Amino acid sequence: MKHVNFVLSGLGGQGILFLTKVLAQAALEKGHNVMGAETHGMAQRGGSVVSHLRLGDVESSLVRTGAAHFLLALEENEAYRNIPFLAKGGRIYANASPASFPREEARSYLERGRILCRSVEAGEIATELGGPMSSNLALLGFFSAFEDDPLTHDDLRGTIDRVSPERFRDLNVAAFDAGLKKGMGKG
Amino acid sequence: MTREEFFLGNGAIALGLVEAGCQVVTSYPGTPSSEILPEVTRLVKSEGLNTYVEWSTNEKVALDTAFAASVSGKRAACCMKQVGLNVAADSLMSAAYLGTIGGLVIISCDDPGPHSSQTEQDTRLMARLAKVPVLDPSNPKEAREMAKLALDISEEFRVPVILRPAIRVCHARQSLSWGPLKTNDQKAVFEKDPARWAATPRFRYILHGELNQKLGKIGQKFEGLSNFNFHDMASAKKYPLGIIAGGVPYAVVRDIFSEEDRKDIPVLKLGTPYPFPERMAQEFMSRCGKVLVIEETDAVIEYFLRDREKVLGRLSGHVPAEGELVPEVVYGLINNVLKELDLEPFPESGDREAVELVKRLELPIRRPTLCPGCPHRAAFFAIRKASPKAIFTSDIGCYTLGLNLGAVDTCLDMGAGITIASGFYQAFCQDGVRKPIVATIGDSTFFHSGTVGLLSAVYNDARFILVILDNHITAMTGMQPTPALGIRADGSKGKAIPLERLVAGCGVDFIEVVDPYDVKEMTALVKKAAGYVEDPDGGIAVIIASHPCIIAYRDEAILERRKVTITEDCVECDFCIDRFECPALYKDEELGRTTINRVLCTECGVCLDVCPKGAIVEA
Ligand code: SF4
Ligand code: SF4
Repeated sequence: MKHVNFVLSGLGGQGILFLTKVLAQAALEKGHNVMGAETHGMAQRGGSVVSHLRLGDVESSLVRTGAAHFLLALEENEAYRNIPFLAKGGRIYANASPASFPREEARSYLERGRILCRSVEAGEIATELGGPMSSNLALLGFFSAFEDDPLTHDDLRGTIDRVSPERFRDLNVAAFDAGLKKGMGKG
Repeated sequence: MTREEFFLGNGAIALGLVEAGCQVVTSYPGTPSSEILPEVTRLVKSEGLNTYVEWSTNEKVALDTAFAASVSGKRAACCMKQVGLNVAADSLMSAAYLGTIGGLVIISCDDPGPHSSQTEQDTRLMARLAKVPVLDPSNPKEAREMAKLALDISEEFRVPVILRPAIRVCHARQSLSWGPLKTNDQKAVFEKDPARWAATPRFRYILHGELNQKLGKIGQKFEGLSNFNFHDMASAKKYPLGIIAGGVPYAVVRDIFSEEDRKDIPVLKLGTPYPFPERMAQEFMSRCGKVLVIEETDAVIEYFLRDREKVLGRLSGHVPAEGELVPEVVYGLINNVLKELDLEPFPESGDREAVELVKRLELPIRRPTLCPGCPHRAAFFAIRKASPKAIFTSDIGCYTLGLNLGAVDTCLDMGAGITIASGFYQAFCQDGVRKPIVATIGDSTFFHSGTVGLLSAVYNDARFILVILDNHITAMTGMQPTPALGIRADGSKGKAIPLERLVAGCGVDFIEVVDPYDVKEMTALVKKAAGYVEDPDGGIAVIIASHPCIIAYRDEAILERRKVTITEDCVECDFCIDRFECPALYKDEELGRTTINRVLCTECGVCLDVCPKGAIVEA
């Protein structure tokens, strides 16, 4: 793999920018070249928001359709909406109920593209901890239970600890750990 | 000590400015430019520099201010979005003739898409119109270098220079290393030279000639700028197809060719589209059978290429004439040209099936909405309730989203909430028709360009209600202060200018301030204002709906939390969802009635006044 492409999606206000920042910062600290693209402006008021993040030697900040290795979605519909970005063999991590995700109509396409879908109710995990705004990090924890390349959960947790604003730090780390535990089948 | 940081493109530009010794930076916020000035401020504070930073009241003011700094010998920059440059155009056109002393860079950020703007206009064409050089970066790293180049060129040739980053540069992030920063300590001097600084038309003719000569010399210089203009052609070889690209599309093209491992198509990158490096382009073209031009947002390079037979681009229909050139679009358009010329095509991208799948899923469109607890929602609801038949003219800001509540009918440009209202009034009045009109405008937009329109409307006896939606901040662009706050760009104290006094100064006699959270009172006030507007002795009525933005002021914005609940009296009429549209209100299919999303709800309690059946009550 010459480079790694992430697409992160959700709705304005769900913390996509912070999620992007954590992944990017962790990658930087590991010595990767990092390029990213963010959504600011009108869409931040509750519209569909997408971040692109690319590790490696790239010139452009945008991921092309069919080229993303990972899609992290903080909302179910925003996961479906960004399916075209996924490469064959790509993986989706979504904040959605594993009982119903992915929808029947999408399954055959995903199977043919060998696209793996994993979902977790990240919103519930974070709400239980008393901070629904940390759903983004619960999802990231869940993701890192399965993926340790290019970033391990220790890398990510360390970064969350460093970059979180003081008043959210403990909650953010707890949400991350709860998501991680869930992914490892212990939560 | 140098350190590595993941800079926002706008931060990279800020870094370039500070590194180049820029002493004065002015701006009016607007996506995608808004973060440049705050990033300059951050660097200036962390490094203890004395760079002057200013949020000006609008883009023209920002440019005039930076221009004066340049005339006094200092390096200066002003930052705005592309449509902001329209506001500053008067200043730009003239400044090009007068020239500069200290370097002057105008940073005008384009928004192909558009993502957050009213047009997709191309700043490079404005540069051509004004006859000033323009630089077009492909990524944050290059934007940083070009910020310095712009100041150097400006100072060397005594002409303002435009830096045109597109949104994918401004809001890209890239890791950059940076080190200690120093302050430039150029002292202000003004040498009087009325023939230049106050030139009359006779002298303007001479200055125009000087400008033309400068452009000729800058064009020469651009030919040799191999860091920003270069190609990868093998010497003496001929090619059936070459690509000329600039700005963000260049980065996209580079990635596509490297991913597809294609080395058979040479690419000429042009980072300085105007004055056009003619010789370089000519040489490149002479060795290509055809040349495909990929640039954003309009055609500029394409127009400058002389051998029309060879050129493929927007004008020939090979590149879409609108919309952003995202990677899949560029991939597709290059592939079409490869096929057309019988060259080896790219593998089919195969995203069509996925796109069709997404269409089949019929996903709900997530339109942006006002935040839960937003004071604008309360104000719009009251306005519509009090004056349901009015024409609602509005303006640019978060409150444009009043569209969703049916309380915004027009949105033209900054300040047009007032001027369009005035124009509608006169158009109907001429026919003897009295049409109720309610204009809305935000506090920051009112400071930007509201007063001139209001003055004219008062002077010409137009009649309408103007509601100034005063949320004590410039919210949409990321929470910049307004003149009413008396806080300046660097956080220091400035003189606060109360809106009431400004409105009174425009000659308005009916001025009332209300908290829109009190929907009943605001509704009554709008009705009272309507009476004043209709009264032969009345005039324009101004209501200042004052309540802080809930995102900027958090807890301070909701002093009294009121937990609400929805009772069984809910008849599922959807009135609150359609007409009030708080994102925290949703229909619970299982429960069979409207419910409250506790995560989103801010407990502002405004919806208590909304339900016609009285089903929304305090818990
Ligand atoms: S940011 Fe503030 S002004 Fe804008 S929609 Fe949200 S609450 Fe309203
Ligand atoms: S109290 Fe009502 S209006 Fe306010 S946020 Fe909650 S649901 Fe929306």
